[in-house]
Amino acid sequence: MLAIYKKELKSYFTSMTGYVFIAFFLCIIGIYYVAYNLVGSLANFEYVLSSASFLFVLLVPILTMRIMAEEKKQKTDQLLYTSPLSPTSIIMGKYLAVITVFLIAMAIVSLYPVILLQFGNIPLKIAYGSILGFLLLGAAYIAIGLFISSLTESQLVAAVVSFVVMLITVLMSGIVEMFPKDNKSALIIFSVIVILICLITYVVMHNITISLSLGIIGETILMVIYFIKPTLFDGLVVRFFDWFSVIERYNNFLMGMLDLSAVIYYISIVFLFLFLTVQSIKKSRWS
Amino acid sequence: MIEVKNLVKRYGDYLAVDNLSFTLEKGRILGFLGPNGAGKSTTMNIITGYISSTEGTVTVNGNDIYDQPEEAKKCIGYLPEIPPVYPDMTVREYLNFVADIKKVKRSDKNKMISDIMNMTKIADVSERLIKHLSKGYKQRVGLAQAIVGYPELLILDEPTVGLDPMQIIEIRDLIHSLSKNHTIILSSHILSEVSAICDEVMIINKGKFIVRDTPENLSKHIGGSNGLHIQVKGDKDIVQNALSPIDGITQIVYEESNQEGIVKLTIYTGEEIDIREDVFFALSDVRCPILDMTSTSMSLEDIFLELTQDDEITNQGEVTDQEEAANQGKVTNQEKVANQEKVTDQEKVAKQEKITDQEKATNQEKVINQEKATNQEKVINQDKATDQKQATDQKEAENHVSDL
Repeated sequence: MLAIYKKELKSYFTSMTGYVFIAFFLCIIGIYYVAYNLVGSLANFEYVLSSASFLFVLLVPILTMRIMAEEKKQKTDQLLYTSPLSPTSIIMGKYLAVITVFLIAMAIVSLYPVILLQFGNIPLKIAYGSILGFLLLGAAYIAIGLFISSLTESQLVAAVVSFVVMLITVLMSGIVEMFPKDNKSALIIFSVIVILICLITYVVMHNITISLSLGIIGETILMVIYFIKPTLFDGLVVRFFDWFSVIERYNNFLMGMLDLSAVIYYISIVFLFLFLTVQSIKKSRWS
Repeated sequence: MIEVKNLVKRYGDYLAVDNLSFTLEKGRILGFLGPNGAGKSTTMNIITGYISSTEGTVTVNGNDIYDQPEEAKKCIGYLPEIPPVYPDMTVREYLNFVADIKKVKRSDKNKMISDIMNMTKIADVSERLIKHLSKGYKQRVGLAQAIVGYPELLILDEPTVGLDPMQIIEIRDLIHSLSKNHTIILSSHILSEVSAICDEVMIINKGKFIVRDTPENLSKHIGGSNGLHIQVKGDKDIVQNALSPIDGITQIVYEESNQEGIVKLTIYTGEEIDIREDVFFALSDVRCPILDMTSTSMSLEDIFLELTQDDEITNQGEVTDQEEAANQGKVTNQEKVANQEKVTDQEKVAKQEKITDQEKATNQEKVINQEKATNQEKVINQDKATDQKQATDQKEAENHVSDL
């Protein structure tokens, strides 16, 4: 794992990627910092991070697109997967290397509130709380990007798909408001989702019995729940899609709350996507 | 050392590897031989644990590649078809990285890497970025990577691809010297290479096992019929009539001759019958002088073509492969192949039309039966002269290559 970690970290700084990421990241945050804190004389550093959170949508794909896609393209994945390393340690090494690049940038950012101290009293607890939230948010996005990169061997595809997925998670909180809240349309929407899942499983596995039985079971469960307790569907669409709104949970940190459920949410996102990445590697050996 | 049992790999409906089983003892070199798409690389990828088999098991040193991957992979060094190198690393950095992921001890690492660089002759490029190296050097870096950690089993997928003739010989020598301490499986679609390096050859086609034997035995046993190639001055009909009463002739193949009044033909006989005298007298009776007479025993090329072309459906890939094999053959065995190329093609069509079914069914049996039945007979019967001739042929071929 350590060997992979070192090699990955080095490759970020032998190529431009690492420098470009850190420079761009610091530049944008610096602009907001100057505008809000230095020129606007605001004492709240969290506003800077709140405004800069869109950065992830742009920068994380750049950081993560090459992680797995490049290995596949160069066929060096053959070296890694035939070495005595387990897929888990390969993925962990790579993930930690990206996190390290991100942490280097964040380490510099975390000096900013301290600089403000010389102008007066600063709510440091909120500032560092929001930095922690920012870190968790970034870690979650990087895990998602890593997973997407493991699905393709084209860096461009990985970058575009990651960008779209992250954009959706950012826009989700706005989109969710438009979804209907009554239980009948909830039933329809979930039925459509079940059918979509069936189609996807059919495309992936080419097994009509599995997809069909999956669809029938899913639809019956929905119907049964609907007839027994229709109130369960009230507002379910909104709640369901809210779950995907990764950035929404970050707002609590900005308000100075250390929201434990949000911390757990982000950590579980990280583990979920690392797990999925390992699975996708193992699966690619089978097909 | 390694045991492969009932290996099957299916891609959808396509059967890439079809029930392949073999074992290999320590210190042997086994060559995989087959046309493009025969399943050589797939098999190697399964053995090394890069992809999983649909059915069947691979055991390396008693460790199953799927159940105990770490122990099994420790014993394997793998050079895939495309060397798995990182273009942005220097050669030394790369080998260092490989040593790390193969868990080589820190204290041995530097010595091992410099030894391996000397072995594969890449020490002079050790500080250069891999992306600036030529194909041949990349290939050697790939080979060096496989040797790092001195694994007991080396699996080399077409190790000499992209090298010039001089380097090919160097790599062959290297593989030979490695075989003292390592067990080696290598694949190739170049026959002369396999017969030069390997103790044993395993021919596979379309994922199926066809035959496994030493290169010498293969060319002895599978031949079946011996050929006599002659050039006669005279009319084709007269020659035909003169030859027809001779016993033991199984087939006569006429070639097109570009010289007026000269007939070129190849006579095939049953196994150990010498018809040279009969042919001479028969033709001298009708006053047709023999200008040239050479006996041809089947070379590895012919065996290969024979065995891999059983199926009537010869696709494009195989045709080009045949050409490649023929070209390669020309380098090593110019005369023979030039003569036989046409003959074998014609012969094949004729043969296949007649006995395709029989051939198909009995080919594998034939090999095994013949092996058993003729093993003892042949040792006694075989003309010692032909053995010697083969040996000198091979030597000549080697010289030829080194001249290039």
